[in-house]
Amino acid sequence: MVTFGSMSFLGDPLFNILGPIAGDTESPESLKIIEAAKAEYHLDKSVPEQWGRWAWDFVRGDFGVQFSTTGQPPVSDLIKERLPRTLELMFIAQLFALGLAIPWAVTSAARANSRIDKGLTMTSFAAISLPSFATAVLLYYVFSVKLDWLPDTYNAIDPFWGFSHDHRLIQLILPALTLGIGAAAQYARLLRTDMITTLREDFILMAKSKGVPRKRVLYIHALRSSLFSLITLLAINVGFMIGGSIVVESFFRIPGIGLAIIEAVLRDDFPVVLAIVMLVSCGFMVLNYLADILYSVLDPRIRNTEQGQQKKVTIL
Amino acid sequence: MSVNKDEILRNEVNESSEVAEAGAEAAKKTLGFGFWLCAVWLFVISMFAILAPVLPLKDPGENFVQYEEQENPLTKKLEEQPTIPPYSPSSEHWFGTDQDARDIFSRTIYGARISLAVGGLTTLFGLLIGGSLGMLAGFLKGWIDKLVSGLFLLSLSFPGLVLTILIITILDRSLLTISLTFGILSIAPIGRLARAQTLTFSEREFVTAATTLGAKRSRILLRELFPNVLIPMITLAMVVVAISIVGEGTLAFLGLSVQGSSTWGKLILLGADISTLQTSPWVSFIPMSFLFLTVAAFNFMSDRLQDVFDTRSIYVTHD
Amino acid sequence: MSPMTKTDSAILEVENYKVGFRTERGLAKAVNGVSFSLEKGKTIAIVGESGSGKTVLNRGLMGLLTDSNTIEEGSAKFMGEEIAGLSRQRFWGTNIAMIFQDPMSSLNPVMKVGKQVAEPLVLHQGLTKKESKKEVINLFKLVGIPDPEKRFSEYPHQLSGGMRQRVMISIALAIKPDLLIADEPTTALDVTVQKYILDLLQELQDERKMSVVLITHDLGVARGRADEILVMYGGKVMEHAPSEKIFTEMSHPYTEALTAAIPRLKDPKHTRLIPIPGSPPDLVHPPVGCKFAPRCVYAQENCINEEPAATVKGRHSYSCFYPVGTEKNKDAYQKNAAQGHTAAGLKISRRRVLK
Repeated sequence: MVTFGSMSFLGDPLFNILGPIAGDTESPESLKIIEAAKAEYHLDKSVPEQWGRWAWDFVRGDFGVQFSTTGQPPVSDLIKERLPRTLELMFIAQLFALGLAIPWAVTSAARANSRIDKGLTMTSFAAISLPSFATAVLLYYVFSVKLDWLPDTYNAIDPFWGFSHDHRLIQLILPALTLGIGAAAQYARLLRTDMITTLREDFILMAKSKGVPRKRVLYIHALRSSLFSLITLLAINVGFMIGGSIVVESFFRIPGIGLAIIEAVLRDDFPVVLAIVMLVSCGFMVLNYLADILYSVLDPRIRNTEQGQQKKVTIL
Repeated sequence: MSVNKDEILRNEVNESSEVAEAGAEAAKKTLGFGFWLCAVWLFVISMFAILAPVLPLKDPGENFVQYEEQENPLTKKLEEQPTIPPYSPSSEHWFGTDQDARDIFSRTIYGARISLAVGGLTTLFGLLIGGSLGMLAGFLKGWIDKLVSGLFLLSLSFPGLVLTILIITILDRSLLTISLTFGILSIAPIGRLARAQTLTFSEREFVTAATTLGAKRSRILLRELFPNVLIPMITLAMVVVAISIVGEGTLAFLGLSVQGSSTWGKLILLGADISTLQTSPWVSFIPMSFLFLTVAAFNFMSDRLQDVFDTRSIYVTHD
Repeated sequence: MSPMTKTDSAILEVENYKVGFRTERGLAKAVNGVSFSLEKGKTIAIVGESGSGKTVLNRGLMGLLTDSNTIEEGSAKFMGEEIAGLSRQRFWGTNIAMIFQDPMSSLNPVMKVGKQVAEPLVLHQGLTKKESKKEVINLFKLVGIPDPEKRFSEYPHQLSGGMRQRVMISIALAIKPDLLIADEPTTALDVTVQKYILDLLQELQDERKMSVVLITHDLGVARGRADEILVMYGGKVMEHAPSEKIFTEMSHPYTEALTAAIPRLKDPKHTRLIPIPGSPPDLVHPPVGCKFAPRCVYAQENCINEEPAATVKGRHSYSCFYPVGTEKNKDAYQKNAAQGHTAAGLKISRRRVLK
């Protein structure tokens, strides 16, 4: 709650700085427009009032009009149009991440310290060390340029469901994979550690002694116990993925929120930048909060035992 | 009593795996060949970067257009005509050239200068400020601790890249700004670790011993706690360097890095269009390899340090 | 090596079975040559302290030891088939069932209890989900879990210790095993519940002609519930006797020491319980000679240098040079008491008189 307040507080000086600066970058001949804009956007009023108005508008979903001489559509429209695309991308990316990370981690943990494990660990290490833009280029090179298995452009107007190069679903594979690999490596690391701990527990022996086949022991018994930290990480990661999506959207030219920020920055379009940053920060905080709640709710052990309370503290 | 027995009895069997693992872990106690290999690489690349102007490298800005004899279809005479870059790796250009016939090797080395500089400045800043703040918070506790921890939490609650972009928009795109922004962002994770380590260690006996001997608090802080906190901080610092290099690379890739420079990210971007990738992938991949090796080296070294000195801190890694 | 005649009705025949763990300090010989034979429908109790190898023995027989650094030797035949060293998997959940010691940690904490019991039914006996649920509820009734329908959908942490152990037993029963290995089934429970559980096991065993290997550190329980008792120490068998004889013809000093540590109702108040001095042997470098010698009050020179072979008297065998109740034993004790210490350096004080 404190963070919420302080964050809104941040908005105020920012807006104050941005206003005049925005005015300065306009060409001298449009001073009249600036004056008019100033009046319209209340820049001439006192600072607290500015902030008050802005915050009020923000909460109501009205993010103000973009600063631009050509009168672009209001920011909220822009966000409405762009946000779903980013969400689409992130959702598929998380799916990829999980789909990669779970088998990765389970296999690794099941044969801890074997050569397979060491190999997989090194791979996840490499994945973490390669920044997302580099993976983007690499994947693009392999799948689009050389093999041409996947399309190289994203068209917002293409239909979604379908399996050809002209369907968004396929077009999103590369970008989502890029985003997902970094996350997958993180997830895999975490999950592997948790799984290794779980596999040492007695109930795993018990399951084996009941004659439960190995695969089932791994995926159903052991995994279930080890997923909790992962789920929390997932929630937190959505926030970080926004940062990643900036790169991915930029490279693959997907018109989402990430690309919107870049465009706005290059255009010195402050309301847009501000609005998006605030939105992202809010979303991020909400997610963090959710993740906390999720963690304590999900694991029946944490709910009850003192040990569980300890565990909560370490994660936080 | 029964609880103890349970544990002992259970351990009887688990001991087998645990003892085996302890054996394996004992073997990991040395830093290892890989560690030193990475250290060497980092040393080499840093030296190259620092000494770039005095090394016999080609001018990174110059266009080394090559000529060859071709028949001019109009005059039917042999003439020197320029061939179209990019040129593939050769003895002239070890890593080839880019689309404007600029030598990739030298551009990569020059690009390293800013990338590494950002990494270094960020970490330095973060260590100094974050480390001190963290240690103070952990040592003095009370309201100072609450305040500092609150600030840390605030900083950690934002996706760093987004914030950086914001700051860059408002201010400018100089080396200093970028490094400072990253530096400020890195205060929180470093500070949090410093604080946690300080808290742990201050509970230990050697600190109590020093206090009872009448040592001044500042002395305790400096002589007793600091050396112990240092090692985990160094392991984290390496990761911070890696992250900031990646961060700078990301900014460069987006066209938002230090103005007028071509750091690794930019170089990768320049080589990443379809036609270049198809005909001359090295334009993008050479700087990419350098970037990867450097970042991986830092990450690996940090990992080895954590293994050997047994400090597994929980920190956030992100783009 | 085994005093029992190998009959066709032996369900489990173990011959010179060994289990070693590779550690950084060397090979830990957790089980160092154990032999016995269990007949169908009978119960054998394996008694020993922690570190005696009894848990390892039984996990080894089940085939549940983590494989990478474990070495197995010797022979173990289940229903005539050699299983040592091979994968026991096909017996798990069908012919052999195991009850673990701590029911809290042996049950999957994030899975409903009923589901855990139903699992072997569905996997091995081909029941449908519905059928298995019915069967599980029946089993719960059988073992005395109140309100079985409700309990089916609960999680382990919602049940009491006694109930959890009953759940474990129902898992074992669901499997309808020929052999049940019960590893300290009552250690984690109150004494009153202990009796109930052991009685229950007995009942079910009689009904189903199940053979049981009962592992316990409590000689009293062993005496009351088993047909034969195997006393283990340091990975080896110290004494093996039918349970009626274990107290009347107790031969090994270790068995004697164990007995002394059991509180008995008819002892006068304030009787001192005598713990066994010293600690379990180092499994990597076990003592040459008798493994118990360092802690034995009767230890003489030859105990330290030579390992006593097993003396077999019908169905009773023991490995000791100075068995309890003999003249040799009394002399050995006198000698040590006079010296003030045993040949192994263990101090003897007057107050250690056991008789």
